[in-house]
Amino acid sequence: MKNSFTLLILLLLVCWAPDVLAQGSTVSGRVTGAEAGMPLPGVSVTVKGTTTGTTTDAEGNYEITVPGNDAVLVFRFLGYEAHEVQVGNQQQINVTLNTDTQQLGEVVVTALGITREKKAIGYASQEVQSEELTQNRQPNVLNAMQGKVAGVTISSTGGAPGQGSSIQIRGTNSIDPSRPNQPLFVIDGILMDNSTSTFGQGAELRGMSNRLADLNPNDIESINILRGGAATALYGLQGANGVVVITTKAGRQGEMRVNFTSTAGYEEVNKFPEIQDTYTQGYAGEYNPTSFWPSWGPTVAEARLLDPTHPAELYNHFEDAYESGHQFRNTLSFSGGGEALNFFTSISHLTHEGVLPFTDYQNISARLNADAKISDKINVGGNFNYINSGGNRYNADRFNESLSYWSPRWDVTDYRKPDGTMNTYGNNNPVYGAATNQLEDEVNRFIGGLTFGYKPTDWLNLTYRLGLDTYSDDRTRTAPGPRGLPDERVYEDNELGFVHEYTTRFRAINSTFIATLNSDFGENFSGTLRLGHDLYDRQAKSFGVIGEELAVYNYFRLSNARFLSTEEEEIEYRLMGIFAEASLDYKDFLFLTLTGRNDITSSLASSNRSFFYPSASISYIFSEHLDLPDVISQSKLRLSYAQMGKDALPYSISSGYAPYTTLPAGYTGVTRDELLGNRELKPEFTNTFEAGLEMSFLENRLGFDFTYYYSLSKDQILNIDVANTTGFRLAAINAGEMRNTGVELILNAAPVKTNDFTWDTKLVFSANRNKILEIPEELDEIVYAAQFGYVGSTVTMRLIEGEPYGNIYGSHWQRYYGPGEEEDPLFIDESRPVVIGENGFPVRAPLSSQKILGNSQPDWIGGFTNTLTYKTLSLTGLLDARVGQEKYNQMDNFFAAFGIAEYTENRNDTRVFEGVLADGTPNTKEVWLGQGIGPDGVNYGNGYYRNFYRGVSENFVEDASWVRLRSLTLSYSLPQNWFESIFVRNASVSLTGNNLWLSTDYKGFDPETSFSPSGSNVDGFSGFTYPAVRSYLFTLNVGF
Amino acid sequence: MKKIFRYMFALLIVGAVTSLQSCEDYFDLEDNPNLVNDPPLRTLLTTTTQKTALNSYRVASITSYFVQYLASPTQGSSTDTYEIADYTSTWDALYLAMADIYDMKQKAQEEGAPDYVGVADVLMAYNLSLVNDMWGDAPYTEAFVNTTLTPSFNSAEDLYQETLRLLDEAVVELRKPESSVILDPVNDLIHRGDKGKWIKTAYALKARQLNKLNGTSSYAPQAVLNAVDSSYTSNADNADMAFFEERNPWAEVALDNENLLLGGWLSEQLIEHLNGTTFAVEDPRLPNIAEPDTSGNFVGTPNGTGNIGPANNTIRDESYISRNSPLTADDAPLTIISYPEVKMIEAEAALRAGETERAYIAYLDGIEASMELLEVAPAEANAYLSAPQVAVGAGALTLADIFREKYVITYLNPEAWNDARRFDYQYAGFTLPENAALPTFIRRVVYPSGETSKNPNTPEVTDLADPLWWDQ
Repeated sequence: MKNSFTLLILLLLVCWAPDVLAQGSTVSGRVTGAEAGMPLPGVSVTVKGTTTGTTTDAEGNYEITVPGNDAVLVFRFLGYEAHEVQVGNQQQINVTLNTDTQQLGEVVVTALGITREKKAIGYASQEVQSEELTQNRQPNVLNAMQGKVAGVTISSTGGAPGQGSSIQIRGTNSIDPSRPNQPLFVIDGILMDNSTSTFGQGAELRGMSNRLADLNPNDIESINILRGGAATALYGLQGANGVVVITTKAGRQGEMRVNFTSTAGYEEVNKFPEIQDTYTQGYAGEYNPTSFWPSWGPTVAEARLLDPTHPAELYNHFEDAYESGHQFRNTLSFSGGGEALNFFTSISHLTHEGVLPFTDYQNISARLNADAKISDKINVGGNFNYINSGGNRYNADRFNESLSYWSPRWDVTDYRKPDGTMNTYGNNNPVYGAATNQLEDEVNRFIGGLTFGYKPTDWLNLTYRLGLDTYSDDRTRTAPGPRGLPDERVYEDNELGFVHEYTTRFRAINSTFIATLNSDFGENFSGTLRLGHDLYDRQAKSFGVIGEELAVYNYFRLSNARFLSTEEEEIEYRLMGIFAEASLDYKDFLFLTLTGRNDITSSLASSNRSFFYPSASISYIFSEHLDLPDVISQSKLRLSYAQMGKDALPYSISSGYAPYTTLPAGYTGVTRDELLGNRELKPEFTNTFEAGLEMSFLENRLGFDFTYYYSLSKDQILNIDVANTTGFRLAAINAGEMRNTGVELILNAAPVKTNDFTWDTKLVFSANRNKILEIPEELDEIVYAAQFGYVGSTVTMRLIEGEPYGNIYGSHWQRYYGPGEEEDPLFIDESRPVVIGENGFPVRAPLSSQKILGNSQPDWIGGFTNTLTYKTLSLTGLLDARVGQEKYNQMDNFFAAFGIAEYTENRNDTRVFEGVLADGTPNTKEVWLGQGIGPDGVNYGNGYYRNFYRGVSENFVEDASWVRLRSLTLSYSLPQNWFESIFVRNASVSLTGNNLWLSTDYKGFDPETSFSPSGSNVDGFSGFTYPAVRSYLFTLNVGF
Repeated sequence: MKKIFRYMFALLIVGAVTSLQSCEDYFDLEDNPNLVNDPPLRTLLTTTTQKTALNSYRVASITSYFVQYLASPTQGSSTDTYEIADYTSTWDALYLAMADIYDMKQKAQEEGAPDYVGVADVLMAYNLSLVNDMWGDAPYTEAFVNTTLTPSFNSAEDLYQETLRLLDEAVVELRKPESSVILDPVNDLIHRGDKGKWIKTAYALKARQLNKLNGTSSYAPQAVLNAVDSSYTSNADNADMAFFEERNPWAEVALDNENLLLGGWLSEQLIEHLNGTTFAVEDPRLPNIAEPDTSGNFVGTPNGTGNIGPANNTIRDESYISRNSPLTADDAPLTIISYPEVKMIEAEAALRAGETERAYIAYLDGIEASMELLEVAPAEANAYLSAPQVAVGAGALTLADIFREKYVITYLNPEAWNDARRFDYQYAGFTLPENAALPTFIRRVVYPSGETSKNPNTPEVTDLADPLWWDQ
């Protein structure tokens, strides 16, 4: 797999093609790998200090003309240590390359598909290779990167098939909550849309896919993550949140290879909340088998005396309602090529059934990558990917909410009556909802790119690339209407039946032209200048027809609906950049890179539309410059500074009137649009400073890569939620300042390395600190998210000057402050006693006092991978941790309100609440926690949990830190000699477990899941989410 | 091969040149294609007239629990029991409607269309009164304008004065003979372009507003009567709106309830007010408001108690909002203010002014008009009108009689809560809901979280028993 960089090296060689070879002698030979002794095709062979070079062919052979006997040949190949040989008088030089654990000499794909030697790069970048990506067999590529990359937080928003994942690089860069902090995704030079569309009623909560989920992970050769401003500078403002550069597999010279991979998986919910199993249906301890109240009744034993049909034990409706899920993925690929043409092609099919009943997803993907070398001067490449994806999505938030109302006295899985209508004692049956209230999406997508390379002279190279990403996203939302049967119960959300049809058409074109000029200046300097032009043009048009009230209850045609209404949306966006990059190389140990880019954007008014920003970076390989102890193998220091501009969301500069759509047919009206646009918006700028040190020791057996960064964003462009009394819901403003600082550390080690057994270990660690330095003057705070909680326990996420992004605010118990003691308006002082009211119950502070109850951004994240390899058997485990974050558990708020939580088992206890009375004296009053008249004759009304506990947000904002065994994979390559006489070239099998172990104090589902759709900046709510899954997968890989 | 690259090069040059030339145009995407910039007045008229009527429903779907027209089928429901609840969506709907009304007025003034200015004034006055009577102080002078994101709050009393000023201005504007754009009969969903009716509505609302002050020193019953004189003369004048995307929102509630998505249950208070339990006279309007249960009785649900009777809530053993009632049928209009209510305002003001004869006539006229609106057969209406509990005679007419009758007339209208507070909830048989969160009847609601969280100028209110300025 590693030698798939052939193409890239070839491209490099095009840049540095040899001078016309006047004289000299010819040297030839064969290059093999140290481990298997197999020939290595595509190895770069160069004459040191010159631009002369070649690559080995499919059999590992090369031939090169050298200027004289003192010439030194340098052999470089990705994954192997570079090797130098003095030619002397040899004519045949055979070389064996040793594998390398850490490769400063490797080439990496940087901005705009430019391949550069890693040592020349003055900023942090980390590459993930295909083996690492496919290890945990995640259908969504983003999930496959979890825990493997420093500085990158990837959260699966839930375990639904095809459900979106969010990725955040180096924390939140934008104060604007409506603006996804998602990085730019570039696949083979094509800008790939990774939005999560929530177009269509109810799509918001249905776990729609992020569009990157369309990619087949098996197609990917490597992913390089560009984190800092200097790394992404050439991408312009679209790269402001980092860039994920994906390179797919390429064909390579040699005979055709066929590869077949098949994965089968089984999955189940990895964590359920604890629920009480003592109290049954009813209210105030009174049994009622049709009550709305699922669990405020008497004990099961008491109820059974009244109702002999009451089951002996309550059902566990949460565990019952979820099923086990399954997935199958088959991928078949062909690759090969000759001198002139290389190709890689694959087809893949995924089907995935989720743990929430009736949710599924499928993906069919076909790819063709081809590269043609038309002459020494010209090459042409193409990448084409067709995808068909989609599935049945359900609203997990609604499912879990309904489950909370469902009484475990009844079997929730018995959801249908014989006549097909909902079976229930009274409340909505969530399983029936999942079965009938459906949203099915289908995406047909084409991603294609063409690359032309032309090298008229040895110092000039021109490349042009045209990329297209286009898709249609069709969504059909249906629910049957009532059938008019006696005693029929209608599932609430199904209303009178409906059918909605939505379509989005998306297309984005990007065009990039780069001219590269190389030159040497004397002996010690060489330089490269790149000039480029970049254009991006995006258009998305969505429309929907909503048909309500079906005449024939299950005939899902718009013509069968009594009322039709429409929804439309159109967005166009254009961006052009002109850029230059100059890099200077001094004696191969000091590298300086300067960039500048000027963007012109369509989303700002003409006076502010065009803006320039620069970057500079230095890489210093001091191991090549200074005489260092032998124990140090390689060392590199990096420094960079970058400025990055950013524009507004499309149409933030204009206001207007939108259609008013709740009129009957035949009437039209308009209403003020929700956004107050602002023509004065100017671009926002972020300044980033980054420093890094990479070192490796003991012949690369041990290495580290440390990065520190500091970034400051000014004049942020925000669409903030405003009080509706302004007549608007949102306003575009240009204000605010935010700072992110952080560290990233990657540690590599190979503690054991023998011929048969190796142990490799890798630790990635990162921590980011965010602070909001300034928010717009007239606002005290910006509320960017809120989630409901009963009677005053609604929590909000707000931006307040001097505090970090991600704070969760809410109501809290009143703490005691003596005379003259001042209360901190933002933080709870937990060391102080709680104030107890005269009624003996703790007192909630006035709702006007909303304090910080937690922060959704982790203090640090880390991933620890260990790989043990014995001959052809290997075991890889990834421990993933996210520590120091809090989330609001809305599910627990409902569990308290409905007597479902396990801790409500104490509802009939009498106790004295610990705390002090208003005058500071200790509380001694005994109270009963139950509902109605207590044993002391006092009427306690709705009881402690409903009257007090559920109304205090503090009780429901929980520590959501976790440590998990993200994946554990055992793989075995079948011995080569088994296949000697048959057509099979190689075969391997592997067993993977994901999420096998999870450690967290969080009471709900897995706290990695999120209420918000992927791409949202709102990550503080994890209540009624689609639960995460534990999965077991078996994979067979056969090569022919 | 060289040819290809010559072409490519040429293409690139052409591309670069053209892109530079047309650069400015190419990047000019300032106008949002999803929006219109300068809509015709009539398109705002449709929106504002519908939004205003729907706001009457939205507010009533809160206040109807306070005045116990409705009761939740669920025990301990928050609105029933005076718990602090968050009415952000109602508040937002009111303000977003007023923003459209504000824009319509600005535009009408620019275009010299006093017809639209006058209608905007009436609609603004009504929406503002809804806000004012729920919350008291509220943003107005700094609301809807694009100058601040955190509008300051005007005092409740100033807002009240503003409603009167708007209504007076409306009359002046609507009486102007010429308007560059005339009211569109299709797009005016309330009065179908009838300026005369808009003027009457301005006076009707003015009478309602002036009469609200009976608890204050500035109460002037004669001013109320003057306004009444210029207002409605029959039910044909009523300010109501019957154009819905699907159906009347109350009918929607009733339909959901039919499908066992429970809601729209009538309170025990309302049923007993009508079925003879409280007043020993059966009101013939009851069968035209509600339907009897399966055993032929009208049964209400006590507030705060939730579903009573046999356990199973699928059995229709109580009364609900009815899709057969002229007030809540699928195509029934939503009423902003009606002739019967104006008659009751007249009765009250006249009685307070000592004009008992006028008061009594208005009282009987109001009942009769209400019967007509509810399509009660004249014989039954007359029987009721002549019942001793009703036909008390001019000399014996009391405020309690007027409020008793007005309670029926304002069924599902937000004005009912204003009356209840003015009358101190002294309706016969009116009791606190079970497990009420307050020791007394509810007097106001708290500011919604949507405003408090985004506008630091929002005053703090915590006590729902704290009366508004006119309710002292």
